[in-house]
Amino acid sequence: MGELYNILSQDVRFVESLKACINCGTCTAICPAAEFYIYDPRTIATTVQTQEDDKIIELLESETIWYCGECMSCKTRCPRGNAPGLLVIALRALSQDLGYFTESEKGRQQLALKRAIGEKILSHGYCINPESIAPELHPEQGPVWEWEMEHIHEVMEKLGANYQGDGAGALRKIPQSDLDEIHRIFEVTGGMDRFERLEEFSKIKAGEMGVEFGEGMDNDYFRMIYTTNNQTHTRE
Amino acid sequence: MSKHVVVIGAGIAGLEAASVLDSMGHSITLIEKEDTPGGHVDRWHELFPNRRPGREVLEMLYEKLRDSIQFQYGKEITSIKPFSGKFIVTASDGWVTNADAVLMATGFDLFDARKKEEYGYGIYDHVITSADLEDIFRQGEGLNPRLGKAPQRIGFVHCVGSRDEKAGNIYCSKVCCVTAVKQAIEIKELYSAVEVYCFYMDLRMFGRHYEELYKEAQEKYNIQFIRGRLSEASENRQGGVVVKVEDTLLGKPLKITMDLLVLMSGMVAPPGIVKMRNKLGLTKEEDGFLSPLDAHARPNESEVPGLFMAGTSSGPKTITDTLNDARSAALAIDKYLEE
Amino acid sequence: MKADGKKLVWKDYQKDIAEDHYFYARSCIRQNFFPGSEKAFTRILRDELGKDLCDNQHHTSCTGIGYHTDVVPFETTMTVVARQFALMNEAGYENYIASCITSFGLYTEIIETWKHFPETLEKTREFLFRATGREFTIPKNLAHASDVIYKFRNEIAAKARYRLVDKNTGLPLKVVEHIGCHYSKMFPHKGVGGAEYPYVLVGMIEAWGGEVIDYPERRHCCGFGFRQYAVQANRGFSIACSKKKFDSMEAYEPDLIITNCPGCPMFLDRWQYALSEMEGKTYGKNNRGIPVFTYEEVAGLVLGYDPWKLGLQVHQVPAEPLLDKIGIPYDPEAKFKGPNGEELGRPEAPSILKFYQE
Repeated sequence: MGELYNILSQDVRFVESLKACINCGTCTAICPAAEFYIYDPRTIATTVQTQEDDKIIELLESETIWYCGECMSCKTRCPRGNAPGLLVIALRALSQDLGYFTESEKGRQQLALKRAIGEKILSHGYCINPESIAPELHPEQGPVWEWEMEHIHEVMEKLGANYQGDGAGALRKIPQSDLDEIHRIFEVTGGMDRFERLEEFSKIKAGEMGVEFGEGMDNDYFRMIYTTNNQTHTRE
Repeated sequence: MSKHVVVIGAGIAGLEAASVLDSMGHSITLIEKEDTPGGHVDRWHELFPNRRPGREVLEMLYEKLRDSIQFQYGKEITSIKPFSGKFIVTASDGWVTNADAVLMATGFDLFDARKKEEYGYGIYDHVITSADLEDIFRQGEGLNPRLGKAPQRIGFVHCVGSRDEKAGNIYCSKVCCVTAVKQAIEIKELYSAVEVYCFYMDLRMFGRHYEELYKEAQEKYNIQFIRGRLSEASENRQGGVVVKVEDTLLGKPLKITMDLLVLMSGMVAPPGIVKMRNKLGLTKEEDGFLSPLDAHARPNESEVPGLFMAGTSSGPKTITDTLNDARSAALAIDKYLEE
Repeated sequence: MKADGKKLVWKDYQKDIAEDHYFYARSCIRQNFFPGSEKAFTRILRDELGKDLCDNQHHTSCTGIGYHTDVVPFETTMTVVARQFALMNEAGYENYIASCITSFGLYTEIIETWKHFPETLEKTREFLFRATGREFTIPKNLAHASDVIYKFRNEIAAKARYRLVDKNTGLPLKVVEHIGCHYSKMFPHKGVGGAEYPYVLVGMIEAWGGEVIDYPERRHCCGFGFRQYAVQANRGFSIACSKKKFDSMEAYEPDLIITNCPGCPMFLDRWQYALSEMEGKTYGKNNRGIPVFTYEEVAGLVLGYDPWKLGLQVHQVPAEPLLDKIGIPYDPEAKFKGPNGEELGRPEAPSILKFYQE
């Protein structure tokens, strides 16, 4: 048994996800990502099943494990009780913690997610807030959203939210003491550690690639990982 | 002194065992829960691998039955109680008898395909089981009455209710693969222009002449075998069945519309028998079927002396295997009764 | 299609949903995009049904999106969830309602994990105590907000002023119902009706007079895909999934789409706009698109709530044609006005999707 396989076996999501795959393809048949991307969740299960380190490293460095949308349609159908979607979650965790994620275009995007979503959880207690969905970065949200953002306070009030207010209600300002608790939770459970690794590994990669690295979203590396698509990922 | 053997089940296992035991001079009562004998084979149009009519096999068995055999129809056995070296056998309507030996030839139930919800049996109009298809073959009117037209594309789904944790049965039902190949050929003979697909995980062509049947299906009838387990069936506006499957050999997910989808329903242990097995304290195996004392040396005996098993009551079998097993059981019972 | 066949399936997937005294955990996405729906939920539960609903100010995101974009480790998420439960205990409640489907799926997954791997529960207790000094017990009852509305659908029907019926023809409206993937795909028995034929929205639609449409891609994910939407480079996946669904449902001519997930109504709404701009194609009749609603929006509409307080004005696909069809009155002038009638201008109209009532 390879060492990486050993580490994976400690992850409960892995234990739940893979108990002998028979290659029947039920998962791939129903997978939305398999329709769109050059992706076959079945092969992830059978590759990991070999328990061979070099094959697993190949996966951790690949684009493959980043195609899944974690919808879990696979889990509903597998006749052996496996779940490639859960397996992917375990592989993604390992790929990030060991730094392999920076080897793939889609993997590098994890830094963007950490900065956009991860940091928002710590700073505001939400995964997203209106500022996260800037119309320039999200043109698909449409002109109504653009209008709403221009008048966010009035619209939120009309719809009964408590935007940035004290007390209960939608989009309230979550008290600092609560945010402090969340912060401490991240510290003791390895959440901050994960965030730091994402930053460090990404910084090294940016250096290797000769791309300007900086904090936040206003730097070349962030822009690169957020928008680059080499157009080789999808089926015809 | 002739002994009394109660044979439970007048399917082919029970019928054959009863005949053999009767010819050996024992007193036989053959009990059947339906109103007629024949079991499942009565429903099959033609048998694999050589397309012999199922009726023919039954006729052969019926011909051997002598008047000495007592038949009890419409009685479902509710309890078998070992008592002083014999058995008290009771039926649902209160009918009761004593037996020196009991043979469980109780057979199997077809897997209820409605449990595979994602295939839509009982919901989508043009999803049927392999057993339903045999009914259609026997009726002799083809598929036009059901579909309202000649079919253009038909799919067979292997392993429905078998090899499937979610369906509650992880075992293989053995005979469905070759049945699918047979039925695919029969469809092609009725409708030469129809496209026929078999969606399989493994093709279990284990028996004599099975591989040849498979080869014929490919070469003569151009039946398409796609290695992938069906994930989902849904219905479109025209009543067509839209299926999603991966062609695992090409590594590509497919979406195909069928006029008809045939589900190869597997075998399950009848729930009444599972209950009785538990009441008698017999070995519990996960698949629910009865377990012989020793698969190699004593394949028809249970842990209770005098209580025997034959046919699919102890697991999925072909018809030829079942008949052989029934004869083996008769031998074992005869030996037991002599002692 | 034999609808009766589905009834047999639904019988197997009944769910225990608490009667009263709920602790409400809000949804990140809904608070941003559908605050009117969450407001309607609290109003329906408290004012219409007389229920006790605790709207706690100290709870946070469950980190579900962070978890499913893989930036938040499982231990962290489990501990944040444990904190939510601790807050529920502290407030004196034992029935938990998640407003978000991802949350609901996550809570269910975590509770199952704690059950099957007790060492993870111990670890979580330890982490939570170390970080916050808090202790927790697992909720006695966990439900999604749509489960609760489903449970009281007949009470809502009894109070309803409108039904999902075309006022001109008297015929039921054709409704597409879309269930969030994380509602029942992971644990079918935790969803009303299971994973293949979920009943939670069907029950509401039937109770409120509508007719449910089943179409081939009903069970297909809307395409949120977490990282597949959040990162711009991946968004093609997301829109492609929604397009698949639209192409499949189009021929059935649905009048509206109802969904029970936070992301799904947002995507099914916005991607119609995006597709109209990208490919010039709209769904539904006369370039008006197929309006998409949350179940609270529909509940609110049948109960007679003001559409502009419900938040229908922030949909990209306009709801007015449907309101007209049902016969629900609204003030077109008030649509884009502020809470005190202030003039806020209007959004630019898209080039193809018909925007204002014309």
